[in-house]
Amino acid sequence: MTAQEKLGRILIYLALAAAILLALFPFWWMLVTSFKRPIDIFSGVALWPQQVTFDNYDRLFNNYHFGYFLLNSVVVVTIAVTVSLILGTLAAYALARFRLRYGARQMALYLVLLVRMLPGIMLCIPLYIVLATWGLLNTRLGLILIYAGLNTSFVVWMMQSFLEEIPRDIEEAAMVDGDSRLTALRRIVIPLAAPGLIATAIFSVIATYNDFIIALTLTSTPDAQTVPVGVSTLIGKIEIQWGPMAAAGVVGALPIIIFALIVQRNFVRGLTLGAVK
Amino acid sequence: MTLAAKIDEAKLEERESRVRRLRAAAVPYLLLLPAVLALAAVALYPTLDGIHASLQRFRYGREMGFAGWDNFAVVYTDAVFWQAILTTAMFVVLVVALETLLGLLLALLVARELRYAGLIRVMLILPMTIAPVVVGVIWRLLYASDIGVVDPLFQALGLDAPHVLAKPVTAFLALVVVDVWEWTPLLFLIILAGLQSMPQDPLEAARVDGASRWQAFFHHTLPLLRPVLLVAVVLRTIDAVGTFDQVFVLTKGGPGTATQLISIYAYNTAFLFNQYGRAMAMLIGVLAFLIVLMSVAVRLMRHTSEKIE
Repeated sequence: MTAQEKLGRILIYLALAAAILLALFPFWWMLVTSFKRPIDIFSGVALWPQQVTFDNYDRLFNNYHFGYFLLNSVVVVTIAVTVSLILGTLAAYALARFRLRYGARQMALYLVLLVRMLPGIMLCIPLYIVLATWGLLNTRLGLILIYAGLNTSFVVWMMQSFLEEIPRDIEEAAMVDGDSRLTALRRIVIPLAAPGLIATAIFSVIATYNDFIIALTLTSTPDAQTVPVGVSTLIGKIEIQWGPMAAAGVVGALPIIIFALIVQRNFVRGLTLGAVK
Repeated sequence: MTLAAKIDEAKLEERESRVRRLRAAAVPYLLLLPAVLALAAVALYPTLDGIHASLQRFRYGREMGFAGWDNFAVVYTDAVFWQAILTTAMFVVLVVALETLLGLLLALLVARELRYAGLIRVMLILPMTIAPVVVGVIWRLLYASDIGVVDPLFQALGLDAPHVLAKPVTAFLALVVVDVWEWTPLLFLIILAGLQSMPQDPLEAARVDGASRWQAFFHHTLPLLRPVLLVAVVLRTIDAVGTFDQVFVLTKGGPGTATQLISIYAYNTAFLFNQYGRAMAMLIGVLAFLIVLMSVAVRLMRHTSEKIE
């Protein structure tokens, strides 16, 4: 390596270090603030808590219903994602394996993309009117139905590209041996597509867990409000209570950050939503 | 067996095999049906219902009958609406341009062989993984004039504390910074994937022929990257038009209307003033724009996957 190349390498690492610092420092600030006492929060920029306290977390769960928000999120996300995985995988299988007539393929894919593209604000006004007429406002069931439907588009899109990569010969052999198509799907295809299915599940969880505007407009009390809505209510109610607000941010972000670290590789594909294979 | 019975049996068998064939042909459509119904129920129906709502008169949140084009007439002659559109347009153009440039730069830095490449990548993309609401909270904590970091930083450099969220121009720029922080990682990831799936031979040939790094980049890498870049830009643009969460948490559109994006204005119109019809009339214009963008995206994606295959 010449001196010039060495210098180039050092510069690259320096630039990356700066980028990483910019990406991560804001997280650090939130984390530090969440462990500070109110008096320390106001005592200037300190990059380390003067005295570590769990008071903010204590108040978050005992005074501000954060346990309810977490429970609602867990229930809604689990059921909605499970339903969408089933519906979406079946549809993706049809798209990946069959020659469809009547332009059904194009129509299905356009519908999927339309759902992906519609901004939340566009959906939530009519959905609000619809749920109001069915008495499903401010219920977990209402949120589950809507998230399950919306997320199906994502599952179809992802699973279709995963399923297309699985060779047809294997399942055709199973069908020659007497399996029905659905048995072949269950016994042969799904296990082979498991990595894709897991990746899809993880991104679905993240997208559903992170959603804000739909839950914001369709729920109004801790009976059904999810974590992001819970975080936003803290901001409105307790403008000056920075400690619990920071703690809420930490609790809201933690499950997703842990996910991201566990599934690094598969993550990329879901985040880019199949824009690049 | 008599001949008649044999014929009957043959007919029966034929009918059975026809049923079987029909059933087999129906399988893919039956597999598709539940998903299509679900999508139609949560996206297509609300969209149509929204179009219906845009033609209705609302009072105190109640439908009061057909209004014709009144909502559209009110909205599209409303200066605040056009201001929101202008703000959104400036926001989208600024963030998409900055995110693409920075994402490209980062991708080029990471695309070579590095130690800890996986770890570096995951650290760089963390901002895009967390809930946008939490992103709002984080930057609220950084921008706050009493407990934040940004004001002290300016003071340490000998400048006046900007109180970023209190003034129109700085509040707008502050939101741009937040969006760039959050979404540069997405452009970075897409461009990185594009770089890594790129054939290396022409690039090496060019280098052997004595092309400089810059020449190689502009004459080989960039043209090959073009389809991926276009898809990334279109996808990001579609999402940026709907930006809502962070703005809701940080400024709610203020101070004044300085950061009132179209999503915020529509939200206020619908849920503060209960004018669902007017809100939908605004959003239908936005939707038309997005559909054009989407059809561009579809065409580009088809193009890209053909190229990669």
